[in-house]
Amino acid sequence: MYGFHGHLLHVDLTSAKFTWHNLDEARLQACLGGIGLGTSLLYEYAPARADPLGPENPLIFASAPLVGTSLTTTAKYAVVTKSPLTGFIADSLSSSYFALELKKSGVDALVITGQSPSWVYLAFDHGKIILREATQLLGKSARDTESCLRAESGNDDLRVAAIGMAGENGVRFATISNDGRHAGRGGVGAVMGAKRLKAIAIRGAVDTAVADPGGVAALALAMRHKSIGTLTAKYRQIGTVANLAVFNRLGSLPTRNFQRSTFAHAEALSGEHLTENNFSRRNGCAACTIRCERLFKSLAGAEQRLEYETLFALGPMCEIDEPGILLEAARLCDDYGLDSISTGATIAWAMECAEKGLLPQADLFGLRFGRAEAFLKIIPLIARRSGLGELLAEGSKRASGLIGKDAGDWAMHVKGLELPGYEPRSLKTMALGLAVSPRGACHNRSGAYEFDFSGEVDRLHGDAGRGSMVAASEDFAAVLDSLIVCKFLRKCFTDFYAEAAELLGRVTGWPCSSAELRQAGERINVQKKLFNIREGWQPEDDWLPPRLLHEKLADGVAQGVELPAAELREMIQSYYLARGWDNRGFVPDDKLRQLKIS
Amino acid sequence: MKTSAVSAVVLTGGKSSRMGRSKALLPFNGEPLISHVVRQLKTVFHRIIVVAAPAQELPDLDATLVRDEVAYQGPVGGIYFGLRAADPEIAFVTSCDAPFLNLALICHLVSRMDGFDVVVPFWQERLQPLHAVYHPRVVPVLKEQLERHELRPIFLYEKVPTLKISEQEIRVIDPDGSSFINMNMPADYQAAVQRWQDLHPPADTGIFCSVELFGVARLLAKTSKLDLGIPARANLAHVIAALAEKLPVLAGKVIEPSTKSLIPGYACNVNGLEFVRDPNFEIKHGDSVFILSADAGG
Repeated sequence: MYGFHGHLLHVDLTSAKFTWHNLDEARLQACLGGIGLGTSLLYEYAPARADPLGPENPLIFASAPLVGTSLTTTAKYAVVTKSPLTGFIADSLSSSYFALELKKSGVDALVITGQSPSWVYLAFDHGKIILREATQLLGKSARDTESCLRAESGNDDLRVAAIGMAGENGVRFATISNDGRHAGRGGVGAVMGAKRLKAIAIRGAVDTAVADPGGVAALALAMRHKSIGTLTAKYRQIGTVANLAVFNRLGSLPTRNFQRSTFAHAEALSGEHLTENNFSRRNGCAACTIRCERLFKSLAGAEQRLEYETLFALGPMCEIDEPGILLEAARLCDDYGLDSISTGATIAWAMECAEKGLLPQADLFGLRFGRAEAFLKIIPLIARRSGLGELLAEGSKRASGLIGKDAGDWAMHVKGLELPGYEPRSLKTMALGLAVSPRGACHNRSGAYEFDFSGEVDRLHGDAGRGSMVAASEDFAAVLDSLIVCKFLRKCFTDFYAEAAELLGRVTGWPCSSAELRQAGERINVQKKLFNIREGWQPEDDWLPPRLLHEKLADGVAQGVELPAAELREMIQSYYLARGWDNRGFVPDDKLRQLKIS
Repeated sequence: MKTSAVSAVVLTGGKSSRMGRSKALLPFNGEPLISHVVRQLKTVFHRIIVVAAPAQELPDLDATLVRDEVAYQGPVGGIYFGLRAADPEIAFVTSCDAPFLNLALICHLVSRMDGFDVVVPFWQERLQPLHAVYHPRVVPVLKEQLERHELRPIFLYEKVPTLKISEQEIRVIDPDGSSFINMNMPADYQAAVQRWQDLHPPADTGIFCSVELFGVARLLAKTSKLDLGIPARANLAHVIAALAEKLPVLAGKVIEPSTKSLIPGYACNVNGLEFVRDPNFEIKHGDSVFILSADAGG
């Protein structure tokens, strides 16, 4: 087999048993790898309605055929599980060196079930796979965990994916982190922590053959050239933080828990301002020519990486306007292993509840919009599940359910996953993408916002044409996430499906057409939907928070724009129609047959 | 193209008796006629010599002023004093009452001077001595003419090598001979003013738009916003072209230098509402044009 090892390793932590399984090539062809493979395995290994934090919920690490090739931006891996935040699928990606070591470990997928009786880490070392004592690592960040394990093993080549304190304490939006990167959304870190698995440490040694090495090298070289041209200039020269000033000016920057769409202090936090005043250096994932990472100088003088989503969630969402405070908050999230989007959005929810008298505890704590001191103090408490942090560690949906009253009206989530930094009322295609995404409010599992920024649609008014756009965007994202290729490379493809099919064919030797690849993307999304349905998805789960439907935009160029329920309903219906699903969003049998899903 | 070895001489010293007032000072296109003529010639000639009557009042001019030592000796006197001031350069000679000079024709006349002392147009069966090129070699000849009181320039042409440029040759460059239009009578002046206005309708009142820069464009330009003056009924292409001119640092990195369009990877939004790709999209006074990355991801 080319591009894959053809092996899956099932580790049961309860029994400390390791079981190897062959992976059928036909199955791999159908699901491609990465998120697709993880989704397929999740449906197989997760019992229906399993407790996400229980031993039966599998935590799946999946590699992909393009990983380890010379194609730029392919050093990625997928983490798939049932989310403790949403109760639906959590499919997350992380990047860089650990991804390459995972590929070299000899497995295409690692399925972890059970719960260890004590804290352990899973070590791969030149074919030896063993569970080792991890009590000494508790409380450490992922970065420090890697340092310790390298020192323990005497092996500087060791690459480690680990949870921080947040994962250890079951914070429902805890991350799994490696090399300064994070499998961030959906609480995959909490699942790992529930299994008492602190880390996975790999020094791999198993190479994967490709079918046409010369062909792959030629395609990779051509893509390398394109990846450093004008089509990726934003990522290379300023990073994703460039979004903040633009979104602010377009009235699409969620501010003060989505009460506003512009932030008065946006310029001070803008990517341009940070670049000119706080920039430290640029960095990149392993095997990446784009190198989009931006590190800025924090209050302590150390370097801190910052991306747009972290910037929006810890900045305008909570009305924090000082770069130094924001960078410190980002550092805390990274060190504790917290999803910065969910952290910022949950804190913003608490701030609003404090304001409205719904959460006296938060009021006593001083948790109010713009108050930096309380803002920084609450983050460690969330990670420790201490005091008010115990409540917030549940995420905004559960926390509002625990408070009751109308606290839920101010929790800005879809299916339990907090919204990213795109204001749906002024980005109507994105509004649909957020509402229907299988993993909850997600800006990554489709690129629906691209239509709103294209000039092809009226971003302020939704219509029945958006359904097919969102469906196509989801399928495109699913293929990228399964091969795996970074989305920042997407504009460098002239005909993505044709070029990706050729690349996949040269790696795996599979005959693969554009149409087949496109269908694989659809298949992966339907499989995600099927999992969700099995886990209790209902039509009302594809919706948006009440604020977005009841409040017009209060400021900015789109002031006065609203998102009526009828408009959202029309768009959702158009999405189901485009997908070939019934009008309630369930998948009919003929669609399953068409996609060859059994 | 400036002609460095050739001067221009403009005669203003006539009596203007038929006009009734100084022709040099007649308002034309918002300035005195002499200023208008000098300004046109300045685009071609490195030096302009204005020959005026001894006490004649003239506005400040970007020219060398010489005065007839003997007033009112007609065109021969003016040509003589002008050529003497221009010596050793050859000189194109014209009068202050010829507002429709064709600079291409003038350059053509200059180019025909090889082997001649005078190049003079022959238009509608008349020689045009006040639209001709003269070599300084003719200065002593003109002096003798003046001493003999021979005040007609054509006498000079009989004495020195002279090339007469045919009407056919002139029409190739100046089809209707407007170069030779001059003003003797008030009616001539009114007609010339009207002709000028017909040829040059009032300029569009320009409009202003602002351009807001984001991301890489902002970092390169070191500014987030600037105002641009553009023609009325301008479109997006005009704005981008004006931006390229004002901020050359964006050329090749944000704006394609040859097509004056945005490089792939960049997008335009107008007033924060519409994302626009069509270069013909009309930009109105007061519009804000955003230049941003075409990629919203991250």
